[in-house]
Amino acid sequence: MKKETEAKVVTFTSEAEMPMMPASVASTLYNKTGSWRYMRPLYANQTPPCNAACPAGEDIVMYLQLTAQGRYAEAWQTIVRENPFPGVCGRVCPHPCESECNREHLGGAIAIHCQERFLADYAAAHELDLPAVDAPPREERVAVVGAGPAGLSCAYHLRRMGYQVTVFEAKEQPGGMMRLIPEYRLPRKVLEREIGAIVALGVEMKTGVRLGVDLSWEDLQDYAAVFLAVGQSISRELGVPGEDAAGVLHGIEFLAQVKRGQKVGLGQKVAVIGGGNTAMDAARTARRLGAEVTILYRRSRAEMPAIDEEVNETLDEGVKIEFLCAPVAVLTENGRVRGLRLTRMELGAPDASGRRRPVPVAGSEYELEFDTVIPALGQVADLSFLRAEVQTERGRIITDERTATACPPVFAGGDAVTAFGTVTAAVGSGKRAALAIDCFLRGIERPFPDLAHNVQAAPRRRDPTVVRFENLNTAYFEEEPRPQERQLPAAERVTSFAEVNQGYGEEVALNEARRCFSCGTCNECDNCLIFCPDVAVLRGDSDDEPFVFNYDYCKGCGICVSECPRHAIVFEEEVKFTKT
Amino acid sequence: MKKVVTGNYAVSWGARLARAQVIAAYPITPQTSIIEKLASFCADGEMDARFIKVESEHSAMAACIGASAAGARAFTATSGQGLLLMHEVVHWAAGARLPIVMGVVNRAIAPGWSIWTEQGDTLSQRDTGWLQFYCETNQEVLDTTIQAFKIAESVFLPAMVVLDAFVLSHTSEPVDIPDQADVDAFLPPYRPQLKLDPADPRAFGALVLPSEYMEMRYKMQKAMERALVVAEEVDREWGEHFGRRWGLVEPYRLDDAEIALVTSGTVTGTSREVVDALREEGVKIGLLKVRLFRPFPHQIIRETLAGVRKVAVIDRNISFGDSGVFAQEVRAALYRADARPPVFDFVAGLGGRDIVPETIREIVDYTLAHDAPTEEFTWIGVKT
Ligand SMILES: Cc1cc2nc3c(=O)[nH]c(=O)nc-3n(C[C@H](O)[C@H](O)[C@H](O)COP(=O)(O)OP(=O)(O)OC[C@H]3O[C@@H](n4cnc5c(N)ncnc54)[C@H](O)[C@@H]3O)c2cc1C
Ligand code: SF4
Ligand code: SF4
Ligand code: SF4
Repeated sequence: MKKETEAKVVTFTSEAEMPMMPASVASTLYNKTGSWRYMRPLYANQTPPCNAACPAGEDIVMYLQLTAQGRYAEAWQTIVRENPFPGVCGRVCPHPCESECNREHLGGAIAIHCQERFLADYAAAHELDLPAVDAPPREERVAVVGAGPAGLSCAYHLRRMGYQVTVFEAKEQPGGMMRLIPEYRLPRKVLEREIGAIVALGVEMKTGVRLGVDLSWEDLQDYAAVFLAVGQSISRELGVPGEDAAGVLHGIEFLAQVKRGQKVGLGQKVAVIGGGNTAMDAARTARRLGAEVTILYRRSRAEMPAIDEEVNETLDEGVKIEFLCAPVAVLTENGRVRGLRLTRMELGAPDASGRRRPVPVAGSEYELEFDTVIPALGQVADLSFLRAEVQTERGRIITDERTATACPPVFAGGDAVTAFGTVTAAVGSGKRAALAIDCFLRGIERPFPDLAHNVQAAPRRRDPTVVRFENLNTAYFEEEPRPQERQLPAAERVTSFAEVNQGYGEEVALNEARRCFSCGTCNECDNCLIFCPDVAVLRGDSDDEPFVFNYDYCKGCGICVSECPRHAIVFEEEVKFTKT
Repeated sequence: MKKVVTGNYAVSWGARLARAQVIAAYPITPQTSIIEKLASFCADGEMDARFIKVESEHSAMAACIGASAAGARAFTATSGQGLLLMHEVVHWAAGARLPIVMGVVNRAIAPGWSIWTEQGDTLSQRDTGWLQFYCETNQEVLDTTIQAFKIAESVFLPAMVVLDAFVLSHTSEPVDIPDQADVDAFLPPYRPQLKLDPADPRAFGALVLPSEYMEMRYKMQKAMERALVVAEEVDREWGEHFGRRWGLVEPYRLDDAEIALVTSGTVTGTSREVVDALREEGVKIGLLKVRLFRPFPHQIIRETLAGVRKVAVIDRNISFGDSGVFAQEVRAALYRADARPPVFDFVAGLGGRDIVPETIREIVDYTLAHDAPTEEFTWIGVKT
């Protein structure tokens, strides 16, 4: 830069010629005081823990920000860019995002699932459509086998990328296990709207077609890739004498029948065996049909795989749970169930899952009277249709982090591959498969995180470092309580299949969105702009870049970094002078 | 319009009527209500000023310096420890010749932690190049705040308006609040000589070599001397506009007095009562209130006190290792007088201890009983 400041020597001969105060004659603009800096602030957009924990890879912080501004439609669109099932997930997801939420330390985690549900219900009430497919159409056709959340998510994302997708589903209706989630937790119309919206994007849905029975591998040769999302559909056997007696109803079949409105031969005294979601739902459904219900579980409460809230709701509804017991035999009379012989269990050494293994207590057998027994011990996959090249291990298909099986055009995901056992994990898995299939078909290499981490279809530029509570400037936040979701009283719940959780309205949703810290994510609070003593923070000209640093004048004092309430700015050392 | 307001609110009203454009302040007892009031004036839109909340008094003054350099009329207020924290930039404001006005509530200095009145905080700033006015009543506080802007802006030196903690700051009195239009007619907008333009900035306050530094100081002193004349002139104008004058000093019943009390701040009000009572008893006593402490009106003081037989200065402060500060200044002023009356110095009321009529009587009794001081100064009321 040209020096404007040729040294000018001014000589004063008397005080009268002198100014009151020394001031330079030349402009000081040439003096870029940023050169004094050795640390540099950066708008990093680090990752909030909720975003990192969402198995479906939703941009939670962003839709909370939009909600806080009353921009509900955009907030909903932000979710469906990643997950086409916000109505379902807002209701049934065990919300690992909330377990990680930094707000927990100041009044309770943000009720993220209620926010998600609010937005989905808003979209339904306003009949919002999924954004139209705007990608250029692609030649390749992709087959998806299984119309559970994994398959549907994969089909949805591939469709959005312009692919021709056909879904083959063995059952008469799409939805997979989501169809079995009882009405009181997931109303049918919510599920149907979200599945319908995916189909409406131009996904071809072929139901009543089972691969290996109605469809062969040869039939799939016209497809450039296949995604297997067959879930786990075979109920585990009890493996005790008397299991085939009349009055023994398997959990998922029982739930399916009730959902279909079929008559089930349910007695008065019902035993449900198991500790997972299916067991809870079977018990609660039986309660609603008027039975007296006992859940029998072989471990203790801490080891129950069912979602904690669900266990509480089950207990509230008057279901009894007996822990540390296991059936030894189904007692029958004239081919009908009359009770169970049980043994007491105790917890031994931890097993492969890290939970303590239950072992029978010798000589502790006892009997209880029941007229109906519902085993709900979980399911295993029916993989009889698989091609030999696709490898399996302990009943699950083996894939790499790209969801690719050992047989390249065949990908697999959802419950058939991993043990996460949730809708959101299945959604995330389907999306990962869509992204991987796209890369495969285009011949692009890209890294994927391991299966325990989420992926994004529409990633925002952000730093993967997770922002923790200690990183926030909590001087800016007050303790504010988490709102209560509306819920039907337990006594009323057991009289019908009406939805138990009622969500909350706009006012609460707005307030809850505002309660979010917006961890790591600038929400344009203007603090950095106000505090910078060197006026080195300037407004940016796009939404992606609300603020920019004028490094010509940033002296690296770090005030913006510490005054950003949400750690959206990081500070890094700047090496300017290196010895050569 | 008459209103019953505290001394602090009188400061706020003064700054409001003077149309201060930037207020940067940090709260400190007993100054807090000054800036609370100003903040609410700004928030309610009754004042068109930018209120800057800062994290310390140092920043408050720094912000005022920036604002004033950019041509705005800037105001702040502080007290005690806050003023001391500000000290570095207090010098800067004067050296940069920025006519900032600051309300200072006199508060004793810690430790011993104290929130009560004493003049040590402002007197410790006497050599910074700021004008200093010590006020006796709430009306005087309001009037002086407005006058201070006019004086400061014509000599380009900053000014402190000083009031006693609680005795004035938190005591309500009826105060005449002038109409804005009348104040506008008295006080024109600030016209800076040098103006900082962020679009074309200059380096202000840069290095000055020994060959020029002394001249800069000379100019500051000249401005101080001019301030004496300007302050008198501005007070006269004030009198024309509002029918009240305060003077640089105020003689009270001094004409035939043999003993003169010299006071400042609220001690003056109490002393007036005692003077009246003693006059009833036939004691020839009067008092001289010093309102303007910087620049120090040497000549007026010399002339006014030259005829009395004894001078008794009441100092609510102490310069450790010497005596009360007002007494030093009065003695120095009198040194050039032909007939120099002996100057008694009484240090009283430190840390907010009450100075009541009995305290002042004790001072007068002592003065009557001695021909000349037998020590540099006399402690009043110390439990020894
Ligand atoms: C009663 C119950 C309650 C639950 N509650 C919750 C809950 O509250 N929250 C939660 O997150 N999760 C819950 N789950 C678990 C969740 O539903 C599953 O983890 C999830 O649906 C798995 O998705 P998926 O797509 O991998 O498989 P699935 O949903 O099992 O879908 C697989 C689909 O593939 C079809 N299929 C199988 N084989 C073939 C074939 N050969 N050809 C064609 N189609 C085939 C099946 O018919 C099925 O439709 C619950 C599950 C049950 C059973
Ligand atoms: S406070 Fe908001 S951004 Fe932070 S973890 Fe919770 S929901 Fe996410
Ligand atoms: S506050 Fe301003 S000067 Fe300090 S680091 Fe931030 S941008 Fe740079
Ligand atoms: S201080 Fe506020 S505006 Fe600045 S980066 Fe942080 S959140 Fe954004």
